[in-house]
Amino acid sequence: MTGKLKRSLIYWAILSPLMVVILFPFGVMFVTAVRPRAELFTYPPTWGFSEFRWENFSEMWVKTNFGGALLNSLYVSVAATAVALLLSIPAAYAMSRYRFAGKGAYRTFLLMTQMMSPIVLVLGLFRLMMSLGLVNDLNSLVLTYAAFNMAFTIWMLQSYFNSIPRDLEEAAWMDGASHLTSLVRIFLPLAVPAMVVTAIFTFINSWNEFVLALTMMRSSEDFTLPVQIYAQVAGRYQVEWHHVMAATVLATVPVAIVFSWLQRYLIRGMALGAVK
Amino acid sequence: MSSVTIRGVKKKYGAMDVLHGIDLQIRDREFVVLVGPSGCGKSTLLRMIAGLETISGGDILIGNRVVNDVPAKARDIAMVFQNYALYPHMSVYENMSFSLRLKRMAKDMIDRKVREAAEILNLSKFLERSPRQLSGGQRQRVAMGRALVRDAQVFLFDEPLSNLDAKLRVVMRTEIKALHQRLQTTSVYVTHDQIEAMTMADRIVVMNAGKIEQIGTPLELYDTPANLFVADFIGSPSMNFLRGKLEQGAVVLPDGSRLAASGQGAAGQAVVFGIRPEHLALATDGTGLAAEVEVVEPTGANIQVYARVAGMPLCAVFTERHDFRPGQTIHLIWPEGKAHLFDDATGHRLQGGAN
Amino acid sequence: MANRFQKSVPLMMILPGLALALAIIGYPIFDLAWTSMQDVSRFGKLTGFNGGENYHEVFADPLFWESLWRTGIWTFAVVGGTLAISMPVAMILNDDFHGRGLARVIIMLPWAISLTMTAVVWRWALNGRAGLLNATLMNAGIIDQPVEWLATASTAFVVEILVGILVSIPFTTTILLGGLSSMPQDAYEAAVVDGASGWDQFRHITLPLMKPFINIAIVLNVIYVFNSLPIIWVMTEGGPANGTDILVTYLYKLAFRFGQLGKAAAISLVMFFVLLAFTMLYVALVSRNDRDDAAPEEEIKA
Ligand SMILES: Nc1ncnc2c1ncn2[C@@H]1O[C@H](COP(=O)(O)OP(=O)(O)OP(=O)(O)O)[C@@H](O)[C@H]1O
Ligand SMILES: [Mg+2]
Repeated sequence: MTGKLKRSLIYWAILSPLMVVILFPFGVMFVTAVRPRAELFTYPPTWGFSEFRWENFSEMWVKTNFGGALLNSLYVSVAATAVALLLSIPAAYAMSRYRFAGKGAYRTFLLMTQMMSPIVLVLGLFRLMMSLGLVNDLNSLVLTYAAFNMAFTIWMLQSYFNSIPRDLEEAAWMDGASHLTSLVRIFLPLAVPAMVVTAIFTFINSWNEFVLALTMMRSSEDFTLPVQIYAQVAGRYQVEWHHVMAATVLATVPVAIVFSWLQRYLIRGMALGAVK
Repeated sequence: MSSVTIRGVKKKYGAMDVLHGIDLQIRDREFVVLVGPSGCGKSTLLRMIAGLETISGGDILIGNRVVNDVPAKARDIAMVFQNYALYPHMSVYENMSFSLRLKRMAKDMIDRKVREAAEILNLSKFLERSPRQLSGGQRQRVAMGRALVRDAQVFLFDEPLSNLDAKLRVVMRTEIKALHQRLQTTSVYVTHDQIEAMTMADRIVVMNAGKIEQIGTPLELYDTPANLFVADFIGSPSMNFLRGKLEQGAVVLPDGSRLAASGQGAAGQAVVFGIRPEHLALATDGTGLAAEVEVVEPTGANIQVYARVAGMPLCAVFTERHDFRPGQTIHLIWPEGKAHLFDDATGHRLQGGAN
Repeated sequence: MANRFQKSVPLMMILPGLALALAIIGYPIFDLAWTSMQDVSRFGKLTGFNGGENYHEVFADPLFWESLWRTGIWTFAVVGGTLAISMPVAMILNDDFHGRGLARVIIMLPWAISLTMTAVVWRWALNGRAGLLNATLMNAGIIDQPVEWLATASTAFVVEILVGILVSIPFTTTILLGGLSSMPQDAYEAAVVDGASGWDQFRHITLPLMKPFINIAIVLNVIYVFNSLPIIWVMTEGGPANGTDILVTYLYKLAFRFGQLGKAAAISLVMFFVLLAFTMLYVALVSRNDRDDAAPEEEIKA
């Protein structure tokens, strides 16, 4: 018992510098988001401030069109997640349950697409969306996010599907169920947790994406949150930092909470799916 | 209920032959046990009957119908899986009623059947529980119940008891046997435990490396094993084998001792003389086969003696209590007609046996 | 007939996803290859084949070489730094101690937040006049004047590398934790019985067994970091005076600031091939792991 206590103290002592650096930006966000505008550039710079100005948030909401960007982000992330999952579930099922010609090649293809980053293809993607007339259309982001996330979702789902015993479906067939019935009544109910977890990760990835959104969305009413916040900072003479920080607080805290709750699934999924 | 006919059935996985032409006729109402060492293809054969594996060659008939291309759900077969395969998101009741609900049977009818089966299996108290909340033995019974409510043509069991502890296995063995006597459903039961096979089967099919070695009732296999493999596989402890040469109605061991035998074989032929440990008895008059005691293991009910004869190991089981010491020489005899004789080259039984 | 249908079922299941991936990820590669060999107007019109001219221009451009060199430093420093920190962190997080759950949550936190937001916050925190990093360091008495962190390229680049390390730690730690948690406990017990010290255990058991996971963490990180735009883009946009440009920021400027589309396409293609090489390496590593796993799997099935 005391051994564990001592170890805990040592470990926390070792980890604390890293944790301070990790938590530092969060402190900066909060402290800036609630301070009066006049105290942004005090000299010497200081953490302290005279009053909590919660109105910063409501002012920011109006001045930065936060609501519009929020809706855009929500639409893109939800739709991209839905498309990615809809296409990945059958593919992951096939990978987990069937042997078929070309399976190895498909696996390699998935690995390759996972490695392809949007930035390398961004010019080609822009030209593609141009020719499809999808520039300035949020659906261009839906399609690209879905495509770039699919390798991850297929792997994640496949690794969970593999842990659902094949016996169960066979037992259902023996009980007189067709393949479709066994899929709907036996397999899918058991796979729901995996699908929820995968969906949330895809959502977060889409929610946070920057490069493609910056490139494809040319007019400010189509901006997603990261681009909208970036636009408040980039190329401006006068940056309203208290508004920017208020916006980052609102955009990141909900996602960070959900993520903290789910990170243990990611550790498992990574260990099972991505690495193996 | 229905017979099952297996004609020249083969199975290949890619280039690998797993079953090399199996012929087997399972009669209506019969309880047939497939035994054999791990990897010999028992599960594969069972799953082909079930329709869970494709058939690479030959025919499988249920009744008079060839079912090679009939999907599993249309074969009207119930199966108990080794890991039970209970649906984890359904209660015991839902597990047992799943097949009936798929058939759109009337609710009250389903209820009657499930409760009846639960009564037989002592599961009435657990119907609302989820499989997670059951012990291993109870889960096993739910798996049985799921098969039971079906009134299927054939029951298949793939090592259904292998996940239970030794005591429970004996209990469930008896229960399954009693159930079969009551329902009389044609059953195929896979195990690698030869005691399970001996106690439960109407007929046993001994398999080895994708082939059938022998088919017969438990006593036929015990009394007249067709070859060395079956002789070795059936019975515990295993049959003793003494290698020697056939000479004028006797087997001559390397050290010159002679064992009377009346097998038909050419003089000088290399043969294997087989005798079960439980058939050996002590000679009181100093005649009989001399063996040097190496290890003595009392089990309480009997004594197992490991000894050496002409450099070859030999085991004897005595129910009486003797006081043996390692190094001691004992003399062994056996009743007439209990010895076996096999051709050493082919492993086949030599007709006529030995004495 | 029925059999033929059954065989096509898995293919039909993967086909829709495959089609999307080919259209969105496959097609642009060919388009880039095609574009990179053409004269392209500012507005994206292909005005004719020009052989390898775009490539010549790229390779004659000192900014390209500088960016390439800096990309190398950036990738090497971030991946190396990340690994050096993540390994001990993962080992601590894999051990049992009070508050481990909370520690894991905090270490993983940067992963939840988009790189853009992190970079925006750091840009403000590093502000040369009022940044709270200056406030902190001045309070602690480490500096007595605010420092203009992002005003000179060399300091800015170092700071960016540090932020890059910070945001790469969660992912790397996760992979290493996955590896550590699959480590056989009895091997350690046997080693203790054989008289191995803590360091011996790390050297002779942990490290060799972790090697596949470390390899994969390196390769994946190299790929991600090599491709990472937001940190540098948001904090300095490759400036001042192109002093923090890496290939991706340089490429982005060429394509979407300066409208040199042919040249940008050529750089994209060069980067694509670099990436392809890393990917091959990764595929090879993964399939080697698969093969190592294959044998025990067979046994369990039999
Ligand atoms: N999907 C498969 N692909 C390739 N070979 C297989 C496959 N399934 C089984 N086999 C091989 O077929 C042989 C027979 O397997 P089977 O499962 O029928 O053995 P078994 O007699 O049931 O053994 P056990 O008593 O261990 O369950 C084994 O050698 C096995 O390795
Ligand atoms: Mg088996």
